Amino acid sequence: MPTRPLLTRYEDDLKLFPDRWNKIGIAIAIPILLAYPFVASSQWLTVGNLAWVTVVGSIGMMMLTGFSGQISLGHAAFLALGAYTTAILGEQLGLPFWMGIPVSGFVAAAVGLAIGPFALRLEGLYLAIVTLGLLFLVNHTLHSLPELTHGSIGISVPMHTWFPADGSPDPMGTFAKPLVLGGLTVSFEQKLYFFFLAIAIVATYLGVNVQRSNTGRSMMAVRDHDVAAAVMGVHPARAKVISFGMSAFFAGVAGAMFACQQQYVTIEPPFDLNMSVQYIAIIVLGGVGTIFGAVWGALVFVALSPLAEKLFDTLKPHVPLLGGLSSAQQATLLFSLIVVGFLIFEPLGLFGMWLRIKRYFMAWPFKY
Amino acid sequence: MISQLIQLVISGLALGAIYALIALGFVVIYRASEVFNFAQGELLSTGAFLMVALCGAGVPWVLALIGSMVLTGALAAGIERAVMRPLIGRPIFVSAILTIFVGFFLRAMVIIVWGVEPRGMPTPWETTAVVELGEARVLWNSIGSVLAGLLTLGAFFALIRYTKLGVAMRAASADQEASLAHGIPVGRILGTTWFLAGTFAALGGVFLGMFPSSVDANIGLIALRAFPAVILGGLESAGGAVLAALILGVLEVLAQAYLNPVLGDFGHNFHGVFPYLVMILVLIVRPYGLFGHQEVKRA
Repeated sequence: MPTRPLLTRYEDDLKLFPDRWNKIGIAIAIPILLAYPFVASSQWLTVGNLAWVTVVGSIGMMMLTGFSGQISLGHAAFLALGAYTTAILGEQLGLPFWMGIPVSGFVAAAVGLAIGPFALRLEGLYLAIVTLGLLFLVNHTLHSLPELTHGSIGISVPMHTWFPADGSPDPMGTFAKPLVLGGLTVSFEQKLYFFFLAIAIVATYLGVNVQRSNTGRSMMAVRDHDVAAAVMGVHPARAKVISFGMSAFFAGVAGAMFACQQQYVTIEPPFDLNMSVQYIAIIVLGGVGTIFGAVWGALVFVALSPLAEKLFDTLKPHVPLLGGLSSAQQATLLFSLIVVGFLIFEPLGLFGMWLRIKRYFMAWPFKY
Repeated sequence: MISQLIQLVISGLALGAIYALIALGFVVIYRASEVFNFAQGELLSTGAFLMVALCGAGVPWVLALIGSMVLTGALAAGIERAVMRPLIGRPIFVSAILTIFVGFFLRAMVIIVWGVEPRGMPTPWETTAVVELGEARVLWNSIGSVLAGLLTLGAFFALIRYTKLGVAMRAASADQEASLAHGIPVGRILGTTWFLAGTFAALGGVFLGMFPSSVDANIGLIALRAFPAVILGGLESAGGAVLAALILGVLEVLAQAYLNPVLGDFGHNFHGVFPYLVMILVLIVRPYGLFGHQEVKRA
């Protein structure tokens, strides 16, 4: 059973919105996305902001692990670099946060490109452990530069909208103030929501474009069989290095967004092995090798932790011993059960479930 | 000076022996089924907590040690049967991720059952007993862990080399389908390798939890420090992993004593990342580790 109509022209294959399903989906999504920050409670608004951060980060992860098949446990290192670049530039130079975000991306990408050549000689688990080493080294370096990073105390993230004048009344920036538009007050978190939504949409667009262009196809060829890809004229080394650079860029941007959202960042937690593993789990949950999987995996993952809290609050009186877990551990427990279930029963993740639903309706009223 | 060096080398060897037990656990599982078991650290902490619990229940020390090893091994074999067996034939990436989450799950269980407060690990000798070697004072605990490590490793290599089970294990790791065709029960062999890895982890956990450290829910994180040993030795090589573990254990302790103070701000906790640095430098020259097999690629 095909999941999309037969393509007869190359232009059809390049269409961004190939069929009416995408158009229907987008028409439903736009009003929901725009209304969300005004409807949601403040807890769920934070969840929404974190969700866009995670979407950008997991698109980066998808490029490296999903497209070119390089397993990395060092994704958190690139996020840490991004977060600290934005925070340090804001503090030392008074750089506006919206300029800091792309700069963070380029700093992380520079490190990613420097790591890339290592990946050319290493395979599979060797690479995974080396990138884990990269994470430890980056965190160690951040810890050992206390003049810039303030070490383990952490650093606050100023939100300047423009370079502050000397003696500016707002040392922490002006973006944090609510904005009044006519009768409507838009709070800091709501402003951040729209800003992040825009970044996430651009990131998704870029991700889809990479996937269906020459670059992404060469990555996937290298993932599926690097020797065969080389025989076909793909340059495996170039594809791997490019995917490292792009993945690191997205991770750096996500880290910078995370810093803006948190307003205060420390090194460990959050930028530890757990975070790297979470990103791997997100793309596994969503479906490896698809941008759809990166986006939906991230959304479901972020929405899970408040749901886990609710679930455990209702379970606690009935099940003994659960009270000893912190809320992060509860979320981890629930999430690990879900991911293990997906790995065993639904290898394609949420993407696989979506394909099955779509097939059902396309074939309706027949079973198949 | 010299006595300090001896003291450091022996405590380095003790640390290395624990790394070696963890690394050996990784390698036996990897050789048998190409699974990199990230849950090894959590098996280790489960073993350590079981030991504390059994000793607390009044079981004699030696019996408690055997009991915790067997129980942890059984747990590992159970994990293999329940969640790893359905994944045979799937990409190594998938099973490695799965073990990470099995590890998270085990860790949550350990916290649920035993809580987060640290406990002391019971020892058959005086907990802080030392032995004097010339001017160096060495903890009995360090010597115990080196001896236990060497004994176990010796027993393991004898098992692999001389017994029927060992031959079957080697056959299964060489080619699962071919050995199945020759009548080797590959499923049972996989269970056995996980059982062995579980017992190694428990033994490592018991000696790791002894004075000067203690048993808490984070003890399993030691496995992260053992990764460089596995990689440095080469994923397929048990002997290489043991050798690399001992070298890295000694290097880590020596770096802590001699390198950290020299490096100023950068040196603070530098010994924690030093094994990774060594590993990365070696991998630049030898991308398959010291004794790993270089794969021949065909299109």
